[in-house]
Amino acid sequence: MKKTLSLIMALVMLLSMISIPAFAEEEGWITLRVEAYDRSIAGFNVEDCWQLKYAQEHFGNPNKIKLQFVAVPRWTEGDVLTTQLGGGTAPDICMTYNGGLVNEYITYEGLWKLDDLLDQYGPNIKAFLGDELLKFGQQDQDGDGVKEQWFLPARRLDVSNVGNFIRKDWLDKLEMEEPTDIASFTEYLRAAKAANLGGERTIPMQFDLYESDPLYNVVRFIDAFIDFNQVTAEDWYAYSGLHEMLPGSKEGYRWLNTLFHEGLLYENFDINDDQATDSALMNGYFGFFSMQPDQPWRTDKNYQKEMEKAVEGAWWTSVNCFKNESLGKHLHDVYAANGLSVILPKTKDSKEEVAIAAIKYIDWMCQPENMFALQNGVEGINYLAVTADGIPTQVQSADAVPDEHKMHAGDICFIANGLYYGSDEKNAAAKALAFDEKYQPELVASVADAYTDAWTQVSFSIPIQASTDYGAMVKSKQGEFLSKVVTCDPAEFDAIYDAAIQDTLNTGASEIIEEQRAAYQAGEFRGTFPGAAE
Amino acid sequence: MTDLRRARRGVMYSILQNWRLYVMLLLPVAFYIIFCYKPMIGVGIAFTKYNPVKGMWASRWVGFDNFKFVMKMPDFPVALGNTLLLNFMGLIAGFPVPIILAIMLNEVRSIKVKKLSQTLLYLPHFLSWVIIGGMVLQIFAPTTGVVNATLLKWGWIDQNVPFLTEGWPWRITYTLVGVWQSMGWGTILYLSAITGINMELFEAAKIDGANKLQQIWHVTLPGIRSTIVVLLILNVGQMMNISFDRPYIMGNTRVQNYCDVLSTFVYRAGITNSKFDRATAIGLFQSVVGLIMVGTANFVTKRLGEDGIW
Repeated sequence: MKKTLSLIMALVMLLSMISIPAFAEEEGWITLRVEAYDRSIAGFNVEDCWQLKYAQEHFGNPNKIKLQFVAVPRWTEGDVLTTQLGGGTAPDICMTYNGGLVNEYITYEGLWKLDDLLDQYGPNIKAFLGDELLKFGQQDQDGDGVKEQWFLPARRLDVSNVGNFIRKDWLDKLEMEEPTDIASFTEYLRAAKAANLGGERTIPMQFDLYESDPLYNVVRFIDAFIDFNQVTAEDWYAYSGLHEMLPGSKEGYRWLNTLFHEGLLYENFDINDDQATDSALMNGYFGFFSMQPDQPWRTDKNYQKEMEKAVEGAWWTSVNCFKNESLGKHLHDVYAANGLSVILPKTKDSKEEVAIAAIKYIDWMCQPENMFALQNGVEGINYLAVTADGIPTQVQSADAVPDEHKMHAGDICFIANGLYYGSDEKNAAAKALAFDEKYQPELVASVADAYTDAWTQVSFSIPIQASTDYGAMVKSKQGEFLSKVVTCDPAEFDAIYDAAIQDTLNTGASEIIEEQRAAYQAGEFRGTFPGAAE
Repeated sequence: MTDLRRARRGVMYSILQNWRLYVMLLLPVAFYIIFCYKPMIGVGIAFTKYNPVKGMWASRWVGFDNFKFVMKMPDFPVALGNTLLLNFMGLIAGFPVPIILAIMLNEVRSIKVKKLSQTLLYLPHFLSWVIIGGMVLQIFAPTTGVVNATLLKWGWIDQNVPFLTEGWPWRITYTLVGVWQSMGWGTILYLSAITGINMELFEAAKIDGANKLQQIWHVTLPGIRSTIVVLLILNVGQMMNISFDRPYIMGNTRVQNYCDVLSTFVYRAGITNSKFDRATAIGLFQSVVGLIMVGTANFVTKRLGEDGIW
């Protein structure tokens, strides 16, 4: 018996010894854990990167703060954060695009209230974000009629969102002008298919069905069909995220249904297969696709460059063809001024000094010289020259930078969404400079298109509870809806369309619409209504 | 000395006598207490308006509100029906296959061939569903998938076979892929049960003039009958449970109404928006129904004269 006891005791001691070093902290030092998105860029170790070392040296060491980056996969960040927050293991600074999740934790009282912390330790944060932007992170949680600061909205420096791209080389072969409205665009698609310009596998028009937001991609085309003579501002806000229910949208989906049956669409658009889409895009099968305005020329995945390798002379160019006839405008939605939501999670074990350290770190990040370093890296390695305005040029693509200097500007310097050089003009100029010189004119044109007849995305300044409760269910219904109305027999289109809309309404969309309408009436809304008289 | 004291001493005595065995038992018992029984307290979450920051005890008690909320959602009955149907199809198609396979493997004479085919059959079990999902797309996708592309090219069909794009064909694809994935692994228990059959019975049958098929029917199958029954009861108990990865990965938006099952429903209704209370409520519902099913299956088998599991 004694032997067993002593054996168990020995084991217990051994186990506790293993965990001791984890608690050992140097005198007076505190550890600050910061979430960092991981995009699986080859050779780039997020948890031990140049930016971390730079921040540790210039911010951490003088303040006796040990910085630690916690890698979280970019495309599942919302799910990972949900789990971490639920289990109380989230890093001290987290960031997410999932606004619903943030709202939930505000009501759970699981976040640090930032008003006093900002006043005391965040003068540079306040200066960089500004009062208007900070309001995005405010909510009245205690019900006293005054909104408190619960998160820091990152500042979005470039709000352009829509990039529609068409094959310049195909237009040339067809001897067609760039389409300017739906009719001429449809003509292009038909001609491209008839001539099989991409070979046997020609797919004139590609769009994606993202499971997390199934209509994200098609809404850009369908909004051109909305009849704004029949849409009030109130409806516009009430049906935010549910544009398929606005007058006129039905004709847009009927148009897609027609295209589908003519074989002009990507047949497997609703069978999630990203790799097939990517390879088709790079092999030049597509005649049209729609993503972010800089998508074809990005340095980390350059579709244009890859496609040129496969097809000589293949060329993407931005196209402005989704003209809304009721307004006579080519509508493009742009982001609101806020980007990521930056939160400081609070559990019963959280210490205030860590929250203070977190605010100090973000404040340090907001100082122009530090932000410049974190976003641009080192001259001669990450970029080769600087313009007279101090903007880095000849920016090296990720594979040309040695591993120990690989970096990701936006993910580590999370408080700014986009590169910041001190003024809007400089920022805009810098945007193009970050791309391969050969493609810069195309990029500039694409961004200009994205700002044409722009309307700012709608959001609400009070939480929409129905969105939290039913949002995911409604999104999944929208996916079903899109799949059904695009692929169904044209003779049954009307019946299927109406039934699918009803289905979405029953799943919680009607609650969401009601609550959004109430929020609009209470004046708690943001964003613009494109149908408003000028 | 009273009987009671003697009995008590008897228990202590036998423990002391066999203390090594009891020490060996400590770890598994600890495992079940820590990982199976202690977390059960957490089912209480299903009856609260759960606040993960404050914990279960500080959250407000709401009775059956979470259950009502979830079950009123129009997707719930669909997901429930799909779960039962897919599991039932899996049971009908998948349960006999490992038995047949095990008997066939048992009859293979050459050890080398037997080992090789066993290894090949086990292999899919170790593949992640993400990989299998990718393979299924490569093979069964419309137009671009190997099967459809080949058949179209040969002119055997003029329209895609909707393996993944229509309800019933998708269900069948789902079921058969599942059978393929798990059949090899399922043979292990049966093979060991077959090994346990007394060889004298086979010899006796042979002397009585039984051929191979008759031996299988009259000796092998009765020999593994109890194993079959136990596994069947356990499988019936799993009817309400469905893994998340397999339907999530094999499903797609076009067959959403057919591939949405309880686990994917819970993910949407509870996990993605941090409503852990609702997710727990569905989990508890599944467990209770599962328990009732196991109990019923056990009762029925006992009535039929078999041993059952308790």
